[in-house]
Amino acid sequence: MNAQNFADAATDSTAGTERDIKMVARDVNVYYGPKQAIKGVSIEIPTDEVTAFIGPSGCGKSTFLRTLNRMNDTVSGARVEGDIRLDGENIYDSSMDVVQLRARVGMVFQKPNPFPKSIFENVAYGTRIHGLASSRGEMEQIVEQSLKRAGLWDEVKDRLNDSGTALSGGQQQRLCIARAIAVDPEVILMDEPCSALDPIATAKIEELIHELRGRYAIAIVTHNMQQAARVSQRTAFFHLGHLVEYGDTSEMFTNPREQRTKDYITGRYG
Amino acid sequence: MTDPVATPQVPERRPTDWKGKVMQRRIANRYAAERRFHAMGLGAVLLSVGFLAFLLVTMIGNGASGFRRTEILVPVDFAHAAIRLDPASFRGPGREAALAAADFEGVLFESAQARFGGGVFKILSEGAWLTVRNKVADNPDILKGKADIWVPASSAIDRAAKSGTPDPELDRVRKITDVRTSFDVSFLVGADSTDPTMVGVWGAFKGSLLTMLVTLALAFPVGVLSALYLEEYAPRNRWTDLIEVSINNLAAVPSIIFGLLGLAVFLNVMSLPRSAPIVGGLTLALMTMPVIVIAGRNAIKAVPPSIRDAALGIGASRVQVVFHHVLPLALPGILTGTIIGMARALGETAPLLMIGMRAFVSAPPGGLTDPATVLPVQIFLWSDEVSKGFVEKTSAAIIVLLVFLMTMNGLAIYLRNRFERRW
Repeated sequence: MNAQNFADAATDSTAGTERDIKMVARDVNVYYGPKQAIKGVSIEIPTDEVTAFIGPSGCGKSTFLRTLNRMNDTVSGARVEGDIRLDGENIYDSSMDVVQLRARVGMVFQKPNPFPKSIFENVAYGTRIHGLASSRGEMEQIVEQSLKRAGLWDEVKDRLNDSGTALSGGQQQRLCIARAIAVDPEVILMDEPCSALDPIATAKIEELIHELRGRYAIAIVTHNMQQAARVSQRTAFFHLGHLVEYGDTSEMFTNPREQRTKDYITGRYG
Repeated sequence: MTDPVATPQVPERRPTDWKGKVMQRRIANRYAAERRFHAMGLGAVLLSVGFLAFLLVTMIGNGASGFRRTEILVPVDFAHAAIRLDPASFRGPGREAALAAADFEGVLFESAQARFGGGVFKILSEGAWLTVRNKVADNPDILKGKADIWVPASSAIDRAAKSGTPDPELDRVRKITDVRTSFDVSFLVGADSTDPTMVGVWGAFKGSLLTMLVTLALAFPVGVLSALYLEEYAPRNRWTDLIEVSINNLAAVPSIIFGLLGLAVFLNVMSLPRSAPIVGGLTLALMTMPVIVIAGRNAIKAVPPSIRDAALGIGASRVQVVFHHVLPLALPGILTGTIIGMARALGETAPLLMIGMRAFVSAPPGGLTDPATVLPVQIFLWSDEVSKGFVEKTSAAIIVLLVFLMTMNGLAIYLRNRFERRW
């Protein structure tokens, strides 16, 4: 398999462990105008695991996450170099349709951002624009299933016509996850999904990430190391645009190879 | 580590005296400042309300009588008049020609002369015979005998009757026949006339309506699409900066310049008809568009970027992001800008003078290319008239213009509230 070979060619600290690889990035550089934000990052996102991106503020972890579904295209002056592949297909290739890519690689943002529409419409929107439901009944089924997977169904099933913005912050974030799930993506990118939430809502989201694992490849940016340790199987540590260390989460937190990683994890800086 | 960390010695701060004299004075000053600001704000609001009330009271005071008209009952004896009119000729295909040709003025004059003895022109309006003509057109059978017809009084009699000042001529007429002052429907359905008792605003109202329709149909879509393109699509470079500056400058250009532009481009180059609502609408659209673009851009900028990210993140195309999310959220702001722009266009006189919409137009326009005038120009023209009867008509037309404006704004505000959503 092409992607597999490609993944093996990429820098891999845990070569030897067999895993299915969903996305592979190799030698990725990202520039904002003259400033280089990402410097030669190579990494792979496994299919059945959660990959956490950690690092101090401004280290480029969010920028890198956003290259994975080409959200940086919308930032003026942003330029991406290198090779990023989804199932072996170069996502920056001219034959890749960016709209379809973003349906396949969904995204959940730092601040919950439901549309100012009803809960139902929020979840149904993606399905509708991609024409994934052929009837009203199918649409209702997709919405129900997505809300159930996001763990929100029981809380909102009686008020699907209420505005999505009327929910609490944690519920809004789960609604956003349901919205991303509804288009049946292969990868879900989460950009600090809990940073605007209280501890209880955070715990619910983390629990949800556990449940979603296996169904979707998940990449999550977090500045909370305990969270990375709790939810992820793989961790990537970014510093000043470099990927310093990438490996199994358990190993990274107990026995980091790099001094910088060790310093960061033990709270020496960050 | 229980020991306090040693810090360099700083002089001990004096404890704050919250009850001291200085502090009390500070509090008093603060309260006084609050009260001053409160009073000034209230004063400003009251002043503007006062001006508004003054405007409305004077306008209604002067203009209310403009909606009423004094009429005199004149018995017209068609059967025994010197000029005989045949009822049959006012039926069938030759009707219009017969109505135009018949000498109603002569018939009315003869009957009035017989009744009032003399000075008929001082008593009846110059256009009084039009009433007779309309009566005959409605029912030609009255030509077979005598008919009592209410005809409009002359401007002098009209003013005397309304103001209640003693007037010998009016007293003489009252002794001879009935005089009444009642609501004047013809003011609302008629068009311009040289005689203040015969004028109407419908012509100018319809002219305004047609002009506004053209303006809205052009300025709104063009303005909104320009704003969307500039905010959502256009790259940020020197050209778009230049366009932005140009649009901002256009919004500040004196309106008469737009009139000159309309004259040069629409009339001279494109040879569109003079005095027509279509040209007026095109000219005003040029003036209104920059206002809509500026308001639209601000409204679009105010849509949170997180909404765009959310839509893009689940694979909406840029057009879908714009039309499903950005535009609906920006619409209330865009409509506010449109209200301001359209209200300004509705009240505009100067540019329309340049393209010939100040002509005397005695019939309401039938379409976009017919000669027409608009309410503010009509007001301007009437205020310039010598005859005193036009004073109240001018005020009445201003009331009509204000009602038009309020209706238009009310509609826009209703639409805006319907679209208003929170995020």
